[in-house]
Amino acid sequence: MSRIQVAERTRKYISREQVLQWLAQLTGEMGLIAPKDIDGYVFYRKIDDADEILLDYTKPVLSIKDVFFPPSDKLFLIEKSAEELKLLPHPRLKEQVLFGVRPCDAHGLQALDAVFISAEPVDPYYTQRRENSILIGAACREMGPSCFCTEMGSSPDDTQYMDLMLTEVDGGYSLEAITERGCILLNRISFPLEDYYPKKPAESAPALPRYPYPSIESWLDHFSDKYWEDMSERCLSCRACAYVCPTCRCFDVRDETQTGDDGSQMYARIRCWDSCTGSAYRRIAGGHNPRPEEAQRLRNRFYCKFYYFSQQYGPDACTGCGRCIDVCPVGVDITEVLQHITGTRVAEQNNPAEVGVL
Amino acid sequence: MYRPKIIAFLCTWCSYTGADTAGIARLKSPAHFRAVRVPCSGRVSPELIMRTFDQGADGVLVLGCHIGECHYDSGNHRTAKRMPVLRSLLEFAGLEPQRLRLDWVSASEGERFSRIATEFCNEILALGPARWRVSEDQYRTVKVDRPPISDYTPPVFDQTLFDKQTDGMRKAAQELLSSQQVDCVIGYEEDQRGRTRPTFVYQPDDCSRLVWNQSCTHNLAVYLSKKLNPNGAYNSLRGGPSVAVVVKPCDSRTINVQLAENVYTREQLHIIGMTCTGVKVQPRSNGYLESLQGTQLQQRCLDCSERTPLVYDILVGEPPDDLPDRKGISSKALKITQLNAMSPTERMDVWLSEFDRCIRCYACRQACPMCECPTCLYERDDSLWVSAVNGWGGVGLNEKRTFHLGRAYHLAGRCIGCDECERSCPVGIPISYLNQMLASEMETLYHHRAGASLAPPPFVTILSGEEGLT
Repeated sequence: MSRIQVAERTRKYISREQVLQWLAQLTGEMGLIAPKDIDGYVFYRKIDDADEILLDYTKPVLSIKDVFFPPSDKLFLIEKSAEELKLLPHPRLKEQVLFGVRPCDAHGLQALDAVFISAEPVDPYYTQRRENSILIGAACREMGPSCFCTEMGSSPDDTQYMDLMLTEVDGGYSLEAITERGCILLNRISFPLEDYYPKKPAESAPALPRYPYPSIESWLDHFSDKYWEDMSERCLSCRACAYVCPTCRCFDVRDETQTGDDGSQMYARIRCWDSCTGSAYRRIAGGHNPRPEEAQRLRNRFYCKFYYFSQQYGPDACTGCGRCIDVCPVGVDITEVLQHITGTRVAEQNNPAEVGVL
Repeated sequence: MYRPKIIAFLCTWCSYTGADTAGIARLKSPAHFRAVRVPCSGRVSPELIMRTFDQGADGVLVLGCHIGECHYDSGNHRTAKRMPVLRSLLEFAGLEPQRLRLDWVSASEGERFSRIATEFCNEILALGPARWRVSEDQYRTVKVDRPPISDYTPPVFDQTLFDKQTDGMRKAAQELLSSQQVDCVIGYEEDQRGRTRPTFVYQPDDCSRLVWNQSCTHNLAVYLSKKLNPNGAYNSLRGGPSVAVVVKPCDSRTINVQLAENVYTREQLHIIGMTCTGVKVQPRSNGYLESLQGTQLQQRCLDCSERTPLVYDILVGEPPDDLPDRKGISSKALKITQLNAMSPTERMDVWLSEFDRCIRCYACRQACPMCECPTCLYERDDSLWVSAVNGWGGVGLNEKRTFHLGRAYHLAGRCIGCDECERSCPVGIPISYLNQMLASEMETLYHHRAGASLAPPPFVTILSGEEGLT
């Protein structure tokens, strides 16, 4: 997707009401996925009624990962009748718009693209969903208590991977077209919008890193640390951290028989989420498990994010969204791991901007 | 014409032959039956029945031998105990209870078989097709009303109370470690973010890390089976390592259940009991309770009047005596009453909406101190009890519901209500409603309160005189 030079981008001022009016139009034209309140929890979900769309939210429980890489994906179905075997292919997806994407989630696409698009073999299911999705980003008002996106090369107003970007400005929003595709969508808005001129070219002061970012070499010296045993002792081996993560992309492939509603038998190949923190993840035929201990599994999770993945594909597999910190029932904290690897620690609880040396 | 799908599980020693007897006597029996011959009605596990409904059955009939006539001595006792509980659970999840029936038919009772079968068929015909199975692409969500939060204001306790308890706990831990009575103390610490979390202390000097406060919500007994019985279930019962664990009154009941189930021995364990005034809503509690974080007591604590652990070696802190009895004032109790007042259809829609959010991360199971199976039934790869289909709406909903109901059923008579499952759920499914409903069911039917004593849970014992057949 061709990005437009910063200087040449169209920026429009759009009021809150106009945003909702525009989204209501989009809902009718193509599939819209947007933040929605479900019983007090915010999720990116398909929107049928534009009134459901949330504009004020912090971070949805799950990232947008499940739009491109669903919890389970039927890769194909085999229908068997007395006469023939029929292979039913994966349904083609229509064009859809994703609204309210947070920069950390979009940043996660860097890791997902690296695996599913850039590396051979190219994954057709993921690629198709990526190509058919237009991303409308929403800049974060501020960083939350568990956020550390700035340390991971992103920022609350990062436009990477977005087609359009919505930023809160004096009582309304500025809508900025980042790519050609976004520009087309912007130009299709049926009501007139005023141009928006940023008061000053955004020159924000460089944010102080709150958490130290270790160099890739530093991971090599810590593989055999007793630290992993100590920190992982509390781990319950659930998969919440991986399932809410915008970059965790491990999957399992199952062949299952499925009974249709009419009693017909079908065979499906299903790709479903899996996670290295679960105890069965590495179990192999015969029952042997090369990673039987929590310490090994949790260490793998962090080495994968910052070492293995970077070695194999380039980028880190962490966007600093902090969701794993939020959901862990027993307080496993990825930023503590970063502090361990660099040998530094956050000096003040109340002033996390200061980084102290141990 | 509507032809209901009725699955009848028939014991080969009695009712299967009873059906034959009916046939030989040329008695009329309805033709909607699909009979499944089983070696004993005790073989008909609740999971099997749930899956039968998931596959689209309109009714399930289980027929076994009369009590006292089981070919395997007590197989039908188990069935007799399970079925009423399963029926309540399915009813709570939105199935009409009449769709599941258990009865007894001996081999010679052809007439009885024919009568029961006809009765059951007529009942199902009157009810019409079951709505239980969620089909492909079906998406049933309703707006779930959250119950109002009780206006109970918890008394504010002086920080010194907790500081004193922290001191007492640290001293106890230090002594246990320096005298080498235990290898490890499992307690609570505060992390950099100020969150309280479980911790494991091995050195006497590290005991200063331990804390006690109103955020000590974790049930630390979840770590005991792994610590004390590291080689897997039930094979190293003697001479294992010994640990000390910090417990609240609720957690102490967990230990009673684990002891009754022989997960480890009492000698391996040193219990540091804490008197408790209730723990507060944690940042990861129900979304709609968010405003109460750090101020309001957890819903389960509103219904709890236990202040001292039932089992302990050292007690830390004076039992507070001026606390009002708060039983039954939580929004949870209210919600269960609300749910019970709904029609089955409404209730089913509520539960499907809740289960729809499930991402199958299994945090509920992993955080549960009673979920001790080395490999979960729902995650075995040699017998697929649930399919891998996941995601929002559609057939995956059957799988999610089966997992949650199955897990709740496995905890009946064992769950002590620590609500760790619900607290661990990243998407806030109110799992504890299921557990609490089953707990009160077990109390009504079998006078059993999980962990109140070392009595084994009702499902592993045979019927006693007072336990009626319903």
